[in-house]
Amino acid sequence: MPEPGPAIDVSGISYSYGDTLAVDDVSFQVGAGEIFGLLGPNGAGKSTTVKMLTGQLRPSGGSIGVLGLDAVGDVAAFQARIGVCFEEKNLYTAMTGRENLKFFASLFGIKSFDAAPLLERVDLAARGDDRVADYSKGMRQRLMMARALVNTPEVLFLDEPTDGLDPVSARTIQEMIRQEAARGAAVVLTTHDMYEADTLSDRVAFINQGSILAMDAPEALKLRHGQRSVRIRSRGDGDAVEETVIPLEGPDAADRVQRAVAELDLLTIHTEEATLEDVFVAYAGRGLSA
Amino acid sequence: MNLGVIIAILRKDLVAFSRDRFYVFITVFGLIAFVVMYWFLPSSVDETVRIGIFQTGLDDMFEPIAAADSEGIAVTVFASPEALIAAVEDGSDGIVAGIAFPPDLADRGGGTTTVDLFMPAGTPEEYLPLMEGMASQVALLAKGSLPMPDVRMRTVVLGTDRVGNQVSLQEQMRPLLAFFVLLMETFALASLVSVEVQLRTVTAVLATPARARDFIAAKGVLGTLLAFAEVLLLMTLIRGFVGDIPVLILALILGAVLVTGVGLFAGAFGRDFLGVMFLSLALMIPLMIPAFGALFPGTAAAWIRVLPTYGLVEAIVGVTTRSESWGDLAPALLALTAWCVALLALGTVVLRRRVETL
Repeated sequence: MPEPGPAIDVSGISYSYGDTLAVDDVSFQVGAGEIFGLLGPNGAGKSTTVKMLTGQLRPSGGSIGVLGLDAVGDVAAFQARIGVCFEEKNLYTAMTGRENLKFFASLFGIKSFDAAPLLERVDLAARGDDRVADYSKGMRQRLMMARALVNTPEVLFLDEPTDGLDPVSARTIQEMIRQEAARGAAVVLTTHDMYEADTLSDRVAFINQGSILAMDAPEALKLRHGQRSVRIRSRGDGDAVEETVIPLEGPDAADRVQRAVAELDLLTIHTEEATLEDVFVAYAGRGLSA
Repeated sequence: MNLGVIIAILRKDLVAFSRDRFYVFITVFGLIAFVVMYWFLPSSVDETVRIGIFQTGLDDMFEPIAAADSEGIAVTVFASPEALIAAVEDGSDGIVAGIAFPPDLADRGGGTTTVDLFMPAGTPEEYLPLMEGMASQVALLAKGSLPMPDVRMRTVVLGTDRVGNQVSLQEQMRPLLAFFVLLMETFALASLVSVEVQLRTVTAVLATPARARDFIAAKGVLGTLLAFAEVLLLMTLIRGFVGDIPVLILALILGAVLVTGVGLFAGAFGRDFLGVMFLSLALMIPLMIPAFGALFPGTAAAWIRVLPTYGLVEAIVGVTTRSESWGDLAPALLALTAWCVALLALGTVVLRRRVETL
């Protein structure tokens, strides 16, 4: 039964490791079917936030509502309805892929669980009965993703799900994330890959030093903080290559672009807009990889 | 607690255990090695009483006594009291006791004559009247005429007094072998727990409806079952089930619970395979002291009684070698139970803190 209101409702949560404040007064909401990206450099507080959202850590302040349940006080109830894909490849390597999925299904109390469809979905059908110890990194990550889906979760927490993966494995996982959102699951995605966050997320939140700096749709953030322009490379005198940048600001922007296209001997022409990385730097004064 | 979750974790752990070649190796190899070792040990005590005697000039007197060799008594004459004492202390030539008569025994009148009886530690106390009787007999034979002397025995125990505690080496080894088996299972459990912590698989488990208490309960049940099953098998194979078997089984169950507590504790702190091995051994070495003490009856210092495993060893030794039962062993079993509760609680609390703060 769908709960009224957002799937995730976080209000003013904080957490400290000793004297170090890891998360400071963080608030956001995520709706059903939405992919919400938490974007920040390593150590920004992303994983700590997710640990609080998944019931692994108890916030020192604030409240967390997941699917209408108090995620701080009633951990077991909401954990039955979420799926978590961890950054660490914490699989049972002595067991097969199929056994791993069956074991986790049994923890959710699922009787007569059939692992085959999930293994098929993550392209591991042929290797499902091999021990995980023999899996490659990409195969393990795909199995992690499958494991997060054994209970058909209504909320999915994904911590760096494509970190260090080959493009094929990364694409498989990204496609699954879209499918889960399309099914209606709320997805919280933490990543320091700005491209992945940009292409997957409906909204992103920039987190740095434990605080949210900005939160909006990627496009809106880029439009708000980036400078739109057209960069033209043309042939000048002799073989010289000249570069012209035309800002797309002001009422005559279209005329200026039109005139340049007509008059110059064009080599290439590109529209330029800010990346999420640029926007993050504008907010945080540092890059995502810092 | 969620029984379904506990059973699921137990089944998974049994699969993991059975597929780990190292666990299987140390379990099977250890069991076979200990059983083989046990059956190679001497199973009985030499019943021939070998006695050393010092008395100059009375060699011809010992013929009738030496003739008793066929009945299990052998006599060796020594040239000096010092040589006699050394032989008794060392146990060389199987000398179990020494009798030193005063040099003027034959010339004495009917007064009191003191005869020194040297006994090594661990001599069966049944030997004492035998020695005293023999000494009196020899003194009377030496005197040969009236008035007969009044023989007074002065017993000197050489080394720590273990008179009456003599048991076969096999029997002495039983608690130690049982303990070795429990130690191996402690290590296996600690390693299993440590791997879950290090690989953070426990984090994945705890992000489901499974709670830390379910996880720890499953590990506790697994550790206790494995340790108990193996020590049960060992005791069966070395014919350790003699005497009051219910008391023995209770002691072994408590022993399995006790080492499970230690295993949970070691597993919570072990950083890697070697770390777990080191920590397990570091914790188990002091716990093995009572079992080593059983090898040398009478040598155990008083402080050993406060060690957690003293009650376990005492119960095994009491039942299997002294035919003791509930009444005799109640204090030891109660102390063992108290230690079980304490160590299991400690292991549980420590592991819970560890897994909940990963």
